Amino acid sequence: MEIDPVTNGNTDTVMAEPAPAIAPPRPVPSSRSSQLTESIKLEHQLLRVPFEHYKKTIRANHRSLEREVSSVVSSVGDLADNDWSKDVAVSRLTSLVSRLQGLKRKLEEGSNVENLQAQRCRARIEHLDSADVENITEWNNTKLKRILVDYMLRMSYFETASKLSESSNISDLVDIDIFREAKKVIDALKRRDVASALAWCADNKTRLKKSKSKLEFQLRLQEFIELVRADSYKQAILYARKHLTPWGATHMNELQHVLATLAFKSTTECAKYKALFELGQWDVLVHQFKQEFCKLYGMTMEPLLNIYLQAGLTALKTPYSFEEGCTKEDPLSQETFRKLAMPLPYSKQEHSKLVCYISKELMDTENPPQVLPNGYVYSTKALKEMADKNKGEIKCPRTGFVCNHTDLVKAYIS
Amino acid sequence: MDPIGTVKDGFNQVAKRQKHYHSTSQAVTDRAFEAFVDSLVQIIMKHDLKTVLTELKLKLDSLSPINQLQESQKEWNTSLTKFEKLLGKSDMFPASSRSIDLDHQLVDKMLVEYLYRHGLFEVGDRLVKEAQVEVDDQLSEAIGRSLEIHRITEPLKQKDIEPAMQWISENREKLKEHGSKLELELVSLKYLEMLRQGKRSDALRFARAHFPKFATPHSEKIRRLIVALLWVSNLENYPHGEELFSLGWDKTSKELTKQYYHLHDQPSSSPLAVLLSAGVQSLPRILKLVRVMGLEKEEWEEMKQLPVDLELRDEFRFHSVFVCPVSREQSDEYNPPMMLPCRHVLCKQTVSRLSQSCSTRRFKCPYCTAHTTAAACRQLYL
Repeated sequence: MEIDPVTNGNTDTVMAEPAPAIAPPRPVPSSRSSQLTESIKLEHQLLRVPFEHYKKTIRANHRSLEREVSSVVSSVGDLADNDWSKDVAVSRLTSLVSRLQGLKRKLEEGSNVENLQAQRCRARIEHLDSADVENITEWNNTKLKRILVDYMLRMSYFETASKLSESSNISDLVDIDIFREAKKVIDALKRRDVASALAWCADNKTRLKKSKSKLEFQLRLQEFIELVRADSYKQAILYARKHLTPWGATHMNELQHVLATLAFKSTTECAKYKALFELGQWDVLVHQFKQEFCKLYGMTMEPLLNIYLQAGLTALKTPYSFEEGCTKEDPLSQETFRKLAMPLPYSKQEHSKLVCYISKELMDTENPPQVLPNGYVYSTKALKEMADKNKGEIKCPRTGFVCNHTDLVKAYIS
Repeated sequence: MDPIGTVKDGFNQVAKRQKHYHSTSQAVTDRAFEAFVDSLVQIIMKHDLKTVLTELKLKLDSLSPINQLQESQKEWNTSLTKFEKLLGKSDMFPASSRSIDLDHQLVDKMLVEYLYRHGLFEVGDRLVKEAQVEVDDQLSEAIGRSLEIHRITEPLKQKDIEPAMQWISENREKLKEHGSKLELELVSLKYLEMLRQGKRSDALRFARAHFPKFATPHSEKIRRLIVALLWVSNLENYPHGEELFSLGWDKTSKELTKQYYHLHDQPSSSPLAVLLSAGVQSLPRILKLVRVMGLEKEEWEEMKQLPVDLELRDEFRFHSVFVCPVSREQSDEYNPPMMLPCRHVLCKQTVSRLSQSCSTRRFKCPYCTAHTTAAACRQLYL
């Protein structure tokens, strides 16, 4: 009596069936550009590293070329202005000519190196460009391996990283060498030796200057403090005169603060200066180096693994993942991941998606959900198979309720 | 505009300018070289030393190599700055990464499991050594499983089904419980392979040995397979061929792996891989969300639920989710889905709102405008 007889659950009548809201189609080329914009931002590390090397080589080559040429020109000037005997002039000219020849050779070699590096940069840009709808799974697979290699490099598992990159053919897309370089510097710093760190700073002088980095200054300060610690005051003062004065203009306060340690011994109890003698200062230096290193190459301080893992955790975090009988397929069924996911936000679902308890398949328009008289819902395919095997009888796997295949009703879930 | 296209163009510009610099420097050096050789020749031909040298100096000055080099380099520099602007600042994920304490030993263990699962045994071994991973029971079991599944599925690449058949016969009852059709599929694949190679008598013998036990439940398929024997010379034209050929060796191998893990009550893919794949798919959207909403770090850290659906692919669906089409809220145990007699489904809160909390008040279904009451609705259990 309550139900309008016209619309009595007859699936064939002309009922206003809501158009099932199909999930948005797979990434179509039109949305590819937005995906790519984001991916460029995320792939900074991939592009920056070879590019920085390319830049450095070009600049260094230019500088040395400039130097050579200007010295040649000035020698000629010198020859022309002064009175030299013919033999001397001839021998000088010949030596200049051979210098020019050597210069040409160097130009060729330098250009080859630059071209190789440009190739590397191009290859990486191409790789980013190659992400297509057809090969997206493979591309994502490569990305996964790259993330893992990045993690291994940061943890200094160099052998494993090289083996993995070889076996996955991603050697062109990873930069093992710069991490090895960084490890050398960090190890030296841990041994309280600033030499390799200073060499690295000298190597990357222009870049560090552009970002107004204080790293070299901090390194010099630490060396100074070590000299004071060893009570070699005279050496300390000489060192300060040589290396610390150029920084005085910009960092006077800090300089003064550290120089004052001369007045105290390394075993001083005065808190302000005791802090400077702490061995923990070396760890601070290591951290600073890591920061400069990452900034130079456009890398994040954390391994990419952490970032993507967090993104994945939040994308998969649902209230169901924390239930008792959660399926093992959901990574959040594991205790370790649950703990990690605690502070992260839940994901939001805007469309219904039903998964059949029996077959674990998605219930969509081709495999619609059917309801048993007791209210439990399963997919049409799974229920049909069960009915076929048991002469039309259906038994609910979760409650044990038994009914006939004809008692089932199709539900409309959009 | 295709962002990668612009990056490519920018880089090409840089490379072009560099080539231009190179040719300039070559030209400059060549001309200087010529001038020098010229002067030398002149001196040897007994011309006045002083004039020759002054001429040379003038020549070099007019060539002004340094200026040319510097100008060329300047041009290169401008294209460089443009390119760097294109690359933009590296998005250091300011708001998207909360500082979670990732215990690296845990990650290392999961990494080892991942490597073994994907058959990269050597890399896994190397990692265990380098990272000094503590191989506890759980991990060694996982490794053992990976080795076993590799032993079973690797031969399938050479179309050898022996180890797989052996494993299946060892676990027959459990597989049957799950309604596994694996054995039949493997046997049919091998049979078809034999037919393809034209080994008619071998195929027949093989069929006699293996097909009988499938006769009853899958009689139709067996019949088709046997009939295929007659088409051994041109198997492609066999009319029922497509459905038989649709099983690939690859697909079956994957299915075998899945069922193996299912039997051992383990996830069918390494959880680390699943999480990272989900991360790779969702991170661009999350970053866009943060940017578009202009979130600060604190706002992000306090967020309890993402405001947007990340629209992951179906393979990441592990749980049924019902979202009420009217209120757009996710159902949970306090707000379950209710089915109206007209077969449309709404959440309980929507139903009670429509019926104004009165269980006998009539209301119209938002989809089909059929009249009904709250009492007539049934709760669904997904």
